[in-house]
Amino acid sequence: MNSGAQRLMRGMAVFGCVVACVSCGGGTQTGEEAHVTTLGTVEVTAELVEIPGELIDRPMYDYAHVMKYRVLTVHRGGDVGDVIYVGHYNPLKPRDAVADARVPEVGGTVKSFRVGDVHRMALEFPIDECFMGGIINKYHEEGVSPVYWAVWTNRARRP
Amino acid sequence: MKRLIAIFLFVSASHVAAAAPDARVDALKTEVAARGWIVYGARSDNGTWDLFLSRPDGSARRNITNTPDFEEAAPRFSPDGSRLLFRRLEKGTTIDHDRWGFQGALVIANADGSNPVAGEDGAAPWASWSPDGKQVVCLDKQGIHVLDRETRKEVRDVMKRQGIYQQLFCSPDGRWFCGVANVGGESWTVVRMNAATGEMNTVRTFQNCTPDWFPDSERIILSSRPAGQQVNDGYGYTQLWAVDGAGGNDRLLYGEEGYHIYGGAVSPDGAYVLFSRSPQDGSGAENAGGEICILRMADTPTIAGESTELRKLHPATKDGPVLFLTQGWEPHWTYAESGGE
Repeated sequence: MNSGAQRLMRGMAVFGCVVACVSCGGGTQTGEEAHVTTLGTVEVTAELVEIPGELIDRPMYDYAHVMKYRVLTVHRGGDVGDVIYVGHYNPLKPRDAVADARVPEVGGTVKSFRVGDVHRMALEFPIDECFMGGIINKYHEEGVSPVYWAVWTNRARRP
Repeated sequence: MKRLIAIFLFVSASHVAAAAPDARVDALKTEVAARGWIVYGARSDNGTWDLFLSRPDGSARRNITNTPDFEEAAPRFSPDGSRLLFRRLEKGTTIDHDRWGFQGALVIANADGSNPVAGEDGAAPWASWSPDGKQVVCLDKQGIHVLDRETRKEVRDVMKRQGIYQQLFCSPDGRWFCGVANVGGESWTVVRMNAATGEMNTVRTFQNCTPDWFPDSERIILSSRPAGQQVNDGYGYTQLWAVDGAGGNDRLLYGEEGYHIYGGAVSPDGAYVLFSRSPQDGSGAENAGGEICILRMADTPTIAGESTELRKLHPATKDGPVLFLTQGWEPHWTYAESGGE
């Protein structure tokens, strides 16, 4: 192989890496990937604005905790409003380790829930029909409806 | 020297007193011995969970499943005592104290364990008996199902479960269901639902589970871990309570600091209560269960052990005798003789 061909090969390899990195970075930035774009009936990018009360740290008990989000982009599911309420299963666990025998179908890239973070989520509703377990909903008295069930929750950047 | 001897005698006397058999427990044991049979799950010599039948005093104990290839748990006698239903799980499956009703297959057998008929894995979750024993009531995401015992086909329209998510039991008169539900934003709330109309009322809120009926269909026995306990680093201990099905008249039945009390089941005449106690929350289902106990209802409320905090809250405790039987989980009681030899 002559030096020109070597340079061309090296250049193509670098280009490939750059494309791959941009592609990965794009996914990380938007949270887009196969699960979040196909699971559930609603898909949004939203900012977590409130986690009411404390997240319970009792490993023996499974539960969902309802959190408040400001919707930034609706990808699927039509008009869901500016604010939505989403129940996350066992929220102290990273999403990639939260699926279990009770709830095998949940996941995502979010490691922990922090107010101000942006999440791209695949959602289903109402939560009562999706999850059979304890639901901590501090918004109940406000009469919020529907409460969504988070099927897939990826970290994303603000659009 | 005299002081040392006095201390020695005092300590010896105390030890003898503590170790001495309690005549009241012996009386209780004699009293319940011929009152039918109890059934429970327990670890057997083959290493798996099997079902055991014994007299309520612990005598005549025998393994009625003895299946080294399966785990069996959560047995309940039919109301007439002629049959049992229970869950059968794959060998090696850990029984989950909260999820057991979803686990494995529903098995219906004769009360002595003979002629077991297993359904499909995962089918008929949280199955319990109808009052006549000809049907089983189940709970899943879709709602409350009533199935024919033999065909396991639906015999009525599915009812909305309205937030009930586990431990559904039909009252002896068939008018009500009780279960654990999300109500008013609060989980672990025990509720009562009218079996005909679906109308529902709250029985007791905050950290309650394992509800079951008294024979009168008016009261519910349940486990509760009340708020505000300082013991166990503020986590508290789970206690056994009775509450009116309509809500109210909450009454402590048994509590003991250092132990969580679960699996409350009232004897068919309402005179006794069967339960398990375990230092681990969840009643030890994931390991070898708890200690199965019997207490006279007339001796409730009873508080055992030092239980300083609990005794302050309930000064009128009767401290009745408690019969400690054996290690196991989810006991149930029939006065029928069909469970025996």
